[in-house]
Amino acid sequence: MSAQLKDVIIKPDASSSLLLDKHADYIAAYGSKKDDYEYTLSEYLRMSGIYWGLTVMDLMGQLQRMNQQEIIDFIKACQHECGGISASIGHDPHLLYTLSAVQILCLYDSLDAIDVDKVVVYVKGLQQEDGSFAGDKWGEIDTRFSFCAVATLALLGKMDAINVDKAVEFVLSCMNFDGGFGCRPGSESHAGQIYCCTGFLSLTGQLHQLNADLLGWWLCERQLPSGGLNGRPEKLPDVCYSWWVLASLKIIGRIHWIDKAKLRRFILACQDEETGGFADRPGDMVDPFHTLFGVAGLSLLGDEQIKPVNPVLCMPEDVLQRVGLQPDLLS
Amino acid sequence: MAESKEEVEVLVQRVVKDISSAFKRHPNIDEIGLIQCPEARYNRSPIVLVENKLGVESWCVKFLLPYVHNKLLFYRQRKHWLDSEALVDITCTLLLLNPDFTTAWNVRKELVQCGVLNPERDLYLSKLALTKFPKSPETWIHRRWVLQHILHQFSAVVHKTQQQVEAELLSNHRDRLIHQEMKVCSDAACRYPSNYNAWSHRIWVLQHMAMGNIKVFHDELSSVHLWVSMHVSDHSGFHYRQFLLKELITELSQSPSSASASTIFCSSQHQSSIVPRSIPQANGELPLADSASGDRLTTVLELFYQETELCSDLIQSFPGHETLWSHRRHVYYLWHQWKKDHLPCSDGRESKLKLLGASDLGGIKQTCVSQGESVERNRHVSGPMEVDGASLPDHDSKRLRRGILLPCLLTLQNEHIFVNSILNSCSNPEQKNFALAYKNWLDTVISVQI
Repeated sequence: MSAQLKDVIIKPDASSSLLLDKHADYIAAYGSKKDDYEYTLSEYLRMSGIYWGLTVMDLMGQLQRMNQQEIIDFIKACQHECGGISASIGHDPHLLYTLSAVQILCLYDSLDAIDVDKVVVYVKGLQQEDGSFAGDKWGEIDTRFSFCAVATLALLGKMDAINVDKAVEFVLSCMNFDGGFGCRPGSESHAGQIYCCTGFLSLTGQLHQLNADLLGWWLCERQLPSGGLNGRPEKLPDVCYSWWVLASLKIIGRIHWIDKAKLRRFILACQDEETGGFADRPGDMVDPFHTLFGVAGLSLLGDEQIKPVNPVLCMPEDVLQRVGLQPDLLS
Repeated sequence: MAESKEEVEVLVQRVVKDISSAFKRHPNIDEIGLIQCPEARYNRSPIVLVENKLGVESWCVKFLLPYVHNKLLFYRQRKHWLDSEALVDITCTLLLLNPDFTTAWNVRKELVQCGVLNPERDLYLSKLALTKFPKSPETWIHRRWVLQHILHQFSAVVHKTQQQVEAELLSNHRDRLIHQEMKVCSDAACRYPSNYNAWSHRIWVLQHMAMGNIKVFHDELSSVHLWVSMHVSDHSGFHYRQFLLKELITELSQSPSSASASTIFCSSQHQSSIVPRSIPQANGELPLADSASGDRLTTVLELFYQETELCSDLIQSFPGHETLWSHRRHVYYLWHQWKKDHLPCSDGRESKLKLLGASDLGGIKQTCVSQGESVERNRHVSGPMEVDGASLPDHDSKRLRRGILLPCLLTLQNEHIFVNSILNSCSNPEQKNFALAYKNWLDTVISVQI
């Protein structure tokens, strides 16, 4: 009995050139076409959805096509008394959407639209005794939230508001024997969590605590014959995991360990030539989430039609220069 | 079909009521689902109940979801008042359709906190949501919150009462809860392969409700034995085994005074499932059963042995699975670390534990030999327990008197023999690639640490 390798086959006629105009049109029109049902289904993550759309537009040099004032007003309306920001109006505040909102405001150079001091108080208040961060007042702990906390504070220039040493201690306690990280101590290594933890260690200046060769090894093993990357062993390749793995490799200075040309081919094959946008895998439905990570991945691979992207914060490098933030990368 | 705003409102209110009364009338509903049905047929409710399965006809969802969604958000913005009963009904409908709507779970948390909603009802609702959405992160997060709420209630009761009976009731309740969580995780793992959220929840439950309880950990290791054998691609399932193994070994390697190994194996119900299939048993029992005498070290060695045996069997039976090779890395790494800490080698070379008590080994050594093909046969002759360059303390030596075959199985040399046998005999190209990667890993990661 033999296992069938979990991978996709890229057809010879799959897209092989980058259709930037189509992607910009797809994002610009997204939202206006959606019906009530679809809108309500995804409203719980609206703020992150806006961040994905705006960031990819900025990377493609098309940010001016989006309605800046409307978006800033929306973010203002989502800030709560506690300082935290929610995914949409009427929803509860959460660190995930607080980071997305801060990222959007950095793209627009408009941080003064919200009460920044209150955001800092909110983030600080979510740190636990063991250094970990809860995602909101209900207490769920996850290394993703450690990343959200330090990324938010780094963008605001307020890292000193929290106990960084304890925060680092907690993230390191989630490191596994394979060099990777999971959501909590003892949890399985997962490319998304690894991205958060390497990003966290970059922002806190602690990349030397990683076993970069061991982690790089695990990350490289995510590349499948199609060129795409998966997030864990025996999972299918996916454009978003391609970003998380690739960005992690970039952060730890091991991006040259994978076959870049094959990955580029995989990402390009995930474009929809008619509607624009990227899907998780060739032939699937496109969405803004995979569109951002497809374009950002191509940027990390060196595509010069796209602005350089920062691997830690998934934002255009020129925006971070303006903010004055340069997260560490290993060489 | 309802179209005008008023008609939609009437329809939706009826459906929300139908769902809520279905739960009241049929407390044993165990699964939810969507019935593909683009148009309303006949003049009947879109809520269908068949044999404890609750179905919603798909035509009504596009009216139902936006309506209950907006109603809850209006309430949250204090634009519209809802009493607690209406809130319970609306959030129930909402969450069965869209369980990642965090704020709806939060509304229910508030109801639980103020005593209006029984937390057990939310364990039930989230369990049902997971039958349709087995990955839903927010559902798992809510479950953890509810469990913590219940645990806090427990500790509050324990502080108040000194009654033995009371404490026992709580302990039984806790055992039931753990059992229920394991079942929910298991079902969700069957519904979606490598379900990260389900398996990491399972780990969380043990960490928060059963830490240090060797029996629970051991029962879990037994209960997922068959499951992983039937899901050889499920990396998360194997990771769970790795977690259990590591915790058990850590616990068993601590000083005997802190916990009692003899409590592990007091029940015999699990023994059959942990006995490696390939081991003929002369006396019908593994030496493991004897660990009631407190032989922790023996138990640790056996755990390693059995896991390696399982892994070898599966790698040979199901070629080309990255998950199995990844599991092997972990088990070997764990062994390697454990050996460094507990069986120190003064000369820094690979430990070559020699076995003693060969008379007790029975058929085990044969399995071991066939595993490594050309394992030196003199490894398991009688003689004092020995680690190259370092003898075990005398009492450990006594503990090992029954003899454990493990060291002859888990030497670096034998790992190479195992890999080479796969490389020589297997025609599957993926299997070969994984075997080579494992070999490379042994040479690079393990060898530099020796």
